[in-house]
Parts: sequence; structure tokens; C-alpha cells
Amino acid sequence: MRLESISLTNFRNYDGQEILFHPRFNFFEGLNGQGKTNLLEAIYYLAVAHSFRTGQDHEIVNWNEEYFFLKGVFTQEKGRSLVEIGYQQPPGLKIKVDGKAIRRSEYIHRHPVIIFSPDDLRLVKEGPSVRRRFMNLEGSRLKPRYYRQLKEYHRVLQQRNRLLKDMKNAAVNQALFEPWDHALVALGGDLIRQRLSLLQTLEKQACFFYRQLSASAGTLSLRYLATVEVGNDPALIERSFSDRLKKTRSVESKRGCTMIGPHLDDFALLVDGYDAKKFGSQGQQRAAALALKMGEVNLFRVSTKETPVVLLDDVFSEFDLERRKQLLQFILDGEGQSFITSSTPIEQLVRGLNGGKKIFFVHKGKITVDRIESVN
Amino acid sequence: MVYPEPLEKLITGFCRFPGIGPKTAQRLAFYLLDRPREEVAGFARAMVEAKDKMRFCSQCGCFTEKDPCGFCTDPRRERAVLCVVQEPRDVLVLERTGQFRGVYHVLHGALSPLDGIGPEELRLPLLARRIGAGGIGEVIIATNPNVEGDATAAYIARMVKPLGVKVTRIAFGLPVGGDLEYADDLTLSRSLEGRREM
Repeated sequence: MRLESISLTNFRNYDGQEILFHPRFNFFEGLNGQGKTNLLEAIYYLAVAHSFRTGQDHEIVNWNEEYFFLKGVFTQEKGRSLVEIGYQQPPGLKIKVDGKAIRRSEYIHRHPVIIFSPDDLRLVKEGPSVRRRFMNLEGSRLKPRYYRQLKEYHRVLQQRNRLLKDMKNAAVNQALFEPWDHALVALGGDLIRQRLSLLQTLEKQACFFYRQLSASAGTLSLRYLATVEVGNDPALIERSFSDRLKKTRSVESKRGCTMIGPHLDDFALLVDGYDAKKFGSQGQQRAAALALKMGEVNLFRVSTKETPVVLLDDVFSEFDLERRKQLLQFILDGEGQSFITSSTPIEQLVRGLNGGKKIFFVHKGKITVDRIESVN
Repeated sequence: MVYPEPLEKLITGFCRFPGIGPKTAQRLAFYLLDRPREEVAGFARAMVEAKDKMRFCSQCGCFTEKDPCGFCTDPRRERAVLCVVQEPRDVLVLERTGQFRGVYHVLHGALSPLDGIGPEELRLPLLARRIGAGGIGEVIIATNPNVEGDATAAYIARMVKPLGVKVTRIAFGLPVGGDLEYADDLTLSRSLEGRREM
């Protein structure tokens, strides 16, 4: 897949900007706070209709403006498509593909774009919600069904939590819980199964890259941490979910919220069997996060049968020379289109990537073409 | 601009209608001003008359002029088959098919704790009484295929089954006359789940 062009209106610090991209490498140079990450966010948003930085669309709108608008042309195996995404509150988000309006749920899985950023380290270091968002976003992008089920699950969860809260004040007929318990278990069980299979395929890919990245040749594995006993037979998840739900009901009614289910689940990145979050060195943590993202690129390559577009947000400065080389090699081997930002001089990077390229300069929300180089 | 008060009132009135925005409201108001007085008066009377004369059937909850309603009193309808729907308008939709010859039960909503709607707010106790009175062999649940509609269906099924009455849920599936490739994936996966042997 390739992104031919993008136009941004009132997106973060861009008032109005139109850019034509190179099909292979696009470099963006500029000082901090000029809009390099914002541009990558715009590209990601145009491709996925979600931000990789925030779940709040209104945060993306340029200060003092009421809407943002993105437009761009993607080229894929199946042809070219013109995408327009506009947001205003109200009426909310509008997505058009070749002039035809479509829903977010039908759009989210269309374009394989992967972002590498220093924030990836949060996947290893921070709390469960970061990893849950990762599973949910990637799950939704790989399977249209996941997104809808997740939305339905959250609706059921809200309804059930309301019943639990009502129960704190007055007795609620137990029979009233049954339909919501049933729906929670059915949707939640399926979500857990889909996450398990996502982690399983991702693990295979990430493990391969971790071995390349880590000097000590350790093994990376991903373990799903469920609030429900998952066991060895995924078909039994619903039963154990439902049993646990019955047992926790009395505690839940005191707290007024649902205390088990995929909305509280997590996963651990294990290096040689030990949780990298607790026991990993800085180097291992960085390698684990990077391997996970590299694995993701391959996962999208396999499942969408397209060459993913890769966004690299100032990541090279994070790594030592050896890893930098490996990441460069990975980008070269990927043969896809890449967008690379850097706040430090990029000459070394530019020379490190053989192929046609376009180099841009970013300054105060304006982007200018610095130069274009054809294949050497 | 600010309209003269009577016109402004009319536009504001139309604005409250479902699916009507300020522009359409304006258009409707100007249209009415263009029509002859008798026609408008007739229309106004029709609105008040409908409001005064229409009520809910005490048995099934449909809109009716006479209580019990035409569906409940029609001797040609099968009393043993009861179709449960969410809204009175769903009855009209089902009637248009001409396929269903049983009787109805309108819930006037679906279970939704978030909106404070429980069984008591719906006509569920009444449904239990109707089924308890006997004579019903099958309950077809035709609530909406969403989270709340499904939960309501599950609740009804649990309530009715111990009474020894057959409970069915209408099938979800593909629009007839459409192409498989244009069906959205949720509809398609639901219709796969609900497939049947040939």
C-alpha cells in the first residue's frame, strides 16, 4: 500500500497543507514542536480513523477551530481510493471513500499502517490499560468483527454496571441480571478468544525479531492475563466466565461495577519466562517493544496481503548503533513506503536507506520540500 | 432573521419532530402558509383527533381506536401464536408482510438499566399474565437485533419457557434480492449462525 498525497485542514498545528509523497522513503526534518509527529498522526488517522495518541477526537482539532479535515489518496492492490475524513462536534466523525460515506467500523481495517514511536516503550513499562488499548485497536484493525463486538460488549457492560449500582440502593430481582450476564459472557468470551489468537500469531512474529535484536538471544513470549480462568480449552472460556460471574456477584454489588471480564484483562511480555516489565533491563524492554511492533508489521503484511506503510517517529535516536542498523535493515527489507521523522540531523539516516526518497522540512506547521533523490 | 411570532412558533413546533432539522421545519411551515385555510384546518383537526381518539389496546398494547383492538378481536387470527415487538410501529411493519396471522404484544421499549427501564416499565408483567392465562402455544420474539433487544429477548425466553410454551426468535439475515458481497459482515456472520439445514 502507498499513500500518494495528503491534505490537512485544522489538524493539530496545521491550518492548511497539501503534500505529495514519495512512494518509498519520506523524511521529515525539523526542530521539536514544529509538527512532525502531528503529520504522522494525520497519516495514521487518515488510514485508520483513529489516533495513535488519543482516543479523544476533539483534541486533534486545531486550537480555536471547530473542525478538522483530512483528504488523501491511497494506492492498494485493489486500486486507488480517495479518502476524506472530517470531524466536527456535533455531528462527529464523517468518513468518505470515493465520495461514499461509510462507518468507522467498516473503515478501521482497510489500511495497514504501523507506527513506531518512543511511546512504544509504554507497552512494556506502563499499566494494563495501555496494552488493552493495543489489543483492542490491533484486534479491530485485523478483524472487522472485533470492533463491533467490543462496542457491544461495552454497551452490555454499562447496562450491567448500572444494575449493580441500582442494587446498592435497593434490592434488584436477580432474574434481571441473567440476560446481561449471558450477553457479557457470550461477547466477552469471544473477545478473549480473539485476543488469544491475536497474541499467539503476534508472538510468533515478535519472537523472531526479538532474537535478532537481543544480543543475549533470549526468547520473547506473550502471555494473556485474564481475570477469568482461560485454561487450555478456549471453548470452555464461557463456562468459567459465567461461573466466576456468579461467585463475584455479591462483591460486585457492593462495589457497583463488573469486576471480571476482558475489559480488565492484560497481557505480559515475557523474556525467557520473566515479566519484562518487572525484571527486564532497559535494553530488553526496548528490544521487546520494538520486536512487538516489527511483528505487527509482518502480521498486517500476512493478513491484508499488502505491504504495510511504516511510520517512524523519532525512534532512531532511542537506539544504539546496532539496533539502529537492524531497524534500517528491517525498513529496507520491508520494501514498503516509509515516513521517517527526526529532530536530529538526518543525513546519516538518509544515506543508510538506499532507494528513492523525498526530504521535507517542517517548521511551525508548514512543510516544504527540501529535495528529492532518485534511486542511486 | 427573526420571523413573526406565529411563524416562529410553527417552525419551532416542527423542529421538535423526529428527523426534522431547522431547514426542513422552515420548509414545512412555509408550505402550510401556502395551502388553503380549509386544508390546514382539516390537518390540524386530524392531529388533535388522532391524539384524542387513539389509545393503547389494554391487551396487546397496539394503537387502537377501540379497546380491545382489531387484532385482539379478529376471529380469523390465530390466538395461539403471539408475537412480541418493541414498538407499536413494529406491528404495522409486520402486518405489511401479510405473513403473520397471530396476535401481538407490544412492550413499548426494551430493557435498559441505563435509561431506567426494567420489566415493570415495559408491558412484561402483562405478557406473563397473558401467557399464564393459557391458550398460547408459541411466543415469537421480534425485538430489535441490538444489545438491549437481545437482552429483552433472553429475559422473555427465561420467563416463558418454564410455562411450557415454545419460544422462538425471528431470524437475522441477509436482505432478500441483495448480493452477498454487499452484506455487512456482522449481518453476514449472524446469518451464518442462524443458518438452517436444507
